[in-house]
Amino acid sequence: MKHFVQFMKSLFLLELLKGMNVTGRYFFKPKMTLRYPEERTPLSPRFRGLHALRRYPNGEERCIACKLCEAVCPALAITIESAEREDGTRRTTRYEIDLTKCIFCGYCEESCPVDSIVETHIFEYHGEERADLYMTKEKLLAVGDKYEVQIAQAREQDARYR
Amino acid sequence: MNKQVTKQMVNIEINGKKLQVPQGTMVIEAADSAGMTIPRFCYHRKLSVAANCRMCLVDIEKMPKPVPACATPVTDGMKVLTHSAKALDAQKGVMEFLLINHPLDCPVCDQGGECDLQDTSMGFGLDRGRYHEPKRVLRDKDIGPLIATEMTRCIHCTRCVRFGQEIAGIMELGATGRGEHMRIGTYVERAVNSEMSGNVIDLCPVGALTSKPYRFHGRAWENIPIDSIAAHDCIGSNIHIEVRRNKVMRVLPRENNGINECWLSDRDRFSYTALDSDDRLTQPMIKQGDDWKAVDWPTALNYAVEGLKTVINKYDARHLGALVSPSSTLEEMYLLQKLMRGLGCDNIEHRLRQQDFSSDTASGAYPVLGLPVAELENLNAALLIGACIRKDQPIAAHRLRKAALKGANIMAINALDYDFNFPLAEMLVVSPADMLRSLAAICKVLMEEISSSEMPDGLSAILAAVEVNGTHRAIAHHLKSAEKAAVLIGTQAMSQNELAGIRALAGLIAESTNASLGSLSEGANALGAWLAGAVPHQGPGGATVENDKTAVLAKHLMACVLLNVEPELDCANASAAHDVVRHAEFVISMTSYMSENMKASADVLLPIAPFAETSGTLVNGAGDWQSFNGSCTPPGEARPGWKVLRVLGNLFELDGFEYLSSDEVRDELKVRCEGLELSPSGPWRCPSLDSGDGGLQRIGHLPMYAVDMLVRRAQPLQDTRDAIVAAIYLNAATAKRTGVANEDNVQAVQGSCSVSLPLVIDESIPDACVMIPVALEETSALGAAYGVIDLCK
Amino acid sequence: MMAQQKKTQSKRGLISEASKAEIDRWIAKYPPQQKRSAVMAALRIVQDQNKGHLSNDLKDAVAEYLDMPPIAVYEVATFYSMYELEAVGKHKICVCTNISCMLRGSDEIVAHLHKRLGIGLGETTRDGRITLKEVECLGACVEAPMFQIADQYHGNLTPEVVDEILDGLD
Repeated sequence: MKHFVQFMKSLFLLELLKGMNVTGRYFFKPKMTLRYPEERTPLSPRFRGLHALRRYPNGEERCIACKLCEAVCPALAITIESAEREDGTRRTTRYEIDLTKCIFCGYCEESCPVDSIVETHIFEYHGEERADLYMTKEKLLAVGDKYEVQIAQAREQDARYR
Repeated sequence: MNKQVTKQMVNIEINGKKLQVPQGTMVIEAADSAGMTIPRFCYHRKLSVAANCRMCLVDIEKMPKPVPACATPVTDGMKVLTHSAKALDAQKGVMEFLLINHPLDCPVCDQGGECDLQDTSMGFGLDRGRYHEPKRVLRDKDIGPLIATEMTRCIHCTRCVRFGQEIAGIMELGATGRGEHMRIGTYVERAVNSEMSGNVIDLCPVGALTSKPYRFHGRAWENIPIDSIAAHDCIGSNIHIEVRRNKVMRVLPRENNGINECWLSDRDRFSYTALDSDDRLTQPMIKQGDDWKAVDWPTALNYAVEGLKTVINKYDARHLGALVSPSSTLEEMYLLQKLMRGLGCDNIEHRLRQQDFSSDTASGAYPVLGLPVAELENLNAALLIGACIRKDQPIAAHRLRKAALKGANIMAINALDYDFNFPLAEMLVVSPADMLRSLAAICKVLMEEISSSEMPDGLSAILAAVEVNGTHRAIAHHLKSAEKAAVLIGTQAMSQNELAGIRALAGLIAESTNASLGSLSEGANALGAWLAGAVPHQGPGGATVENDKTAVLAKHLMACVLLNVEPELDCANASAAHDVVRHAEFVISMTSYMSENMKASADVLLPIAPFAETSGTLVNGAGDWQSFNGSCTPPGEARPGWKVLRVLGNLFELDGFEYLSSDEVRDELKVRCEGLELSPSGPWRCPSLDSGDGGLQRIGHLPMYAVDMLVRRAQPLQDTRDAIVAAIYLNAATAKRTGVANEDNVQAVQGSCSVSLPLVIDESIPDACVMIPVALEETSALGAAYGVIDLCK
Repeated sequence: MMAQQKKTQSKRGLISEASKAEIDRWIAKYPPQQKRSAVMAALRIVQDQNKGHLSNDLKDAVAEYLDMPPIAVYEVATFYSMYELEAVGKHKICVCTNISCMLRGSDEIVAHLHKRLGIGLGETTRDGRITLKEVECLGACVEAPMFQIADQYHGNLTPEVVDEILDGLD
């Protein structure tokens, strides 16, 4: 009996038809896939991508070298050196994130008392050598300057939950 | 702190735990001793009780209201609850009040991470603020190059004020105004000027007073504290060197009740700032013609060895000489003397600021303190001779201050009217030429008036001509009547031309009053140098050495090895020392820093590590051997001095240079020093009292911030008022008599040396004396620190 | 050592002989080693000597005279409200605004003084004649509202009484 059922199934190509059924169903359904990079999924305002250092609207860097991000970083990816600037304020003389170490946990962003270090929505960066993935203060500020609008928007959207 | 601790014990109960504590103890002390924490801000175990922060409120049974634990003495049967609802509620309330005016600027505050207020607020405060009114803001005042202020953060615990009054002995900070307008400060703009001022940084529970050199440079949590020993005075304060990423970030005191308690002098605290000075030597260098060439270690060492061998072959080994800084480690000194003696010469010297070596023939005369450091505060009388103790050994001065406040008679005989931060029973300011005479006068009182004991050889002859006055008598009587007394020869006296005589008479005074005799020696390791044999007439462990009794610098040296020495700044006779080195055919300078003078006179520069970067041992005046590890690796090619000396020994193919660690060196020496009697005085030799030809006498004061290479390069220290400016200081009468009163610049002449310096009229300089500080660049062209000097327009 | 630190110029001379004699009288009341107990009296005496206010130099002079650190004198001088740290007018009117006087109408008195003199509390008239000062209870509640001019209390004030008193001032 068992053998007979098996024989009938293969005779009428039942398995194949079942498979074709699934294929056919998805063939006519609206598409789930996106044509990246032309098309993109929406990102949460809390998305944790490439880091950036922000500035205040008057151009002053926000970072005050409190070193909380360095202390909280579980991957020890952040290195900070600080000193007194000529105007007497506390500033970093060195702020570096090693992206090869970073695990994108977002603790640095969370610990920052002045919203200076943030994680942007950029995830498609690359480096041609290791040093490219070593984000210096200048690079981080440049990212911040370039994407400030987007960054500010994301903070704004998320503000009520923070 | 209650000092009248009686033996009687009382039973108390804290949080249900039964304790027995001496009567008179405060509740907070009892709790601390039992390991129970009561939050506090104003209470500090070394300061008086102020009870003004109210943070330590605790609940005591049968008391209607919470009481401050720091100001409540225990009574029998007392039941204390530190965590009852009532206590916690009171603490929470106080915390909220304290935070009313405290800014929320922890992220930019240097105290963040080591802040009592932060910690206490986490443990005892509310989790949110209810105060929305504007906070009080204060303008900062500049109180000097060492302490940064942010008075808005001040919570008025007055620890700094009490420190000034009780410990530093100079009241410069105070609480002015009242209520909400109360503020801590100097009121008028002026720098806090104390050799111990850095301690208020540690005392301040918040970020109101922080370290200026360290300002904004780091966080407490990222520094690794490494135990070490301060290398600038003979007290050997215990320190933590805090290191981050192989860089010394700051130096903090490490508590050692036998030595520095919880205090640290500014010199020990801030000398680290010189570690990354621009003129650090980081590469071995050899001189090629007039140019300096950076080379690798083997080349430099071979060049050094060849150079010394050439000199030995050309003359002989007795034309070698080694000068070593008295702050070098024991291991460096031991290996250097081993090297020199291995090569066949005994010319090694650490007593660079000493001019009178005539007592060298005697055995003994170690520069010991004569008693443990902590014992200084139990003295009933002390006689200081040529000691600017407050500046030279601040921790020792603090101990003596405690003794003085308890009623001890501290007396001083100095060439200058030094500042003391405690009351002196007697004070004599005499010209250096008259110092022996004063000591002899005291001897005369002791010998003739008090005990009429038998006089040592030749003394009666010189005493006959000595006049005695009331001060001499008082000093003698105070010393004689004291139960515990000490006679201490200070650092400033070390350079005096009559040092041997001073030693002999001081020894006599000590002996006839049953006082202990001691020295406040120069550098951090003078006693270690003696033990290691870094003196020409004595080998390691006191071994006797036959030599020709001439001072090393008086010899005709053809090759010199310098270990952390700048001869023109580190020697008593600056120009003579400089000449010796300049005329030597071959000079090896093992040094952490380079200078133009060094480049001119040396042939090889070997970069070695200063105290923070090498392991080693320092022996303080009390004879404590204190070893430490290097806290970080030296920059560039610099290496610990003992390693360099070990390799030099190997290159000379000398025996016994197979050490693998500095501990082995120390242990080898320790065995040789076992059972060694460290007598402070040698056999009696009668001094003569010829007081010279009566010309102008130079007083070569050694400024506290010029004592060694490191300190001279510590910029924050150089910016303080204690960094004495090079000038010619003399009183108005003397200036008038020499006819220079109206000049701005005066030429000082010593034999063939002369230098032109600004003139400063200073009434504290004794008559017929001229104070010209030593160890300064501007005065390094002059001759002997003490002796006759001429002034001309 | 070092002249700059120890031998700064003496400011003792700023205290007049008469004041010195009076301060000495106060010093004599305390044990010899407790000379500094006379600091409050001394400050009052030199304040009177100096037209009613204390300059920093005078405070230094008192410190020197009583052998105490200058900052300790500053502490005392700034703590008590009756020491004036800035120049005051010839007449200092200390108006009590504490609760008894307030209930009995000190606000009205203050307003009247303001109208009449053109100055607020803590200010001095432009001709330097009168200084108005707000003080806490002077212990004369029985005749509130009141104020004090020199060493004289004036109670049961009304605008008319105030005018009368002000007119009587030289």
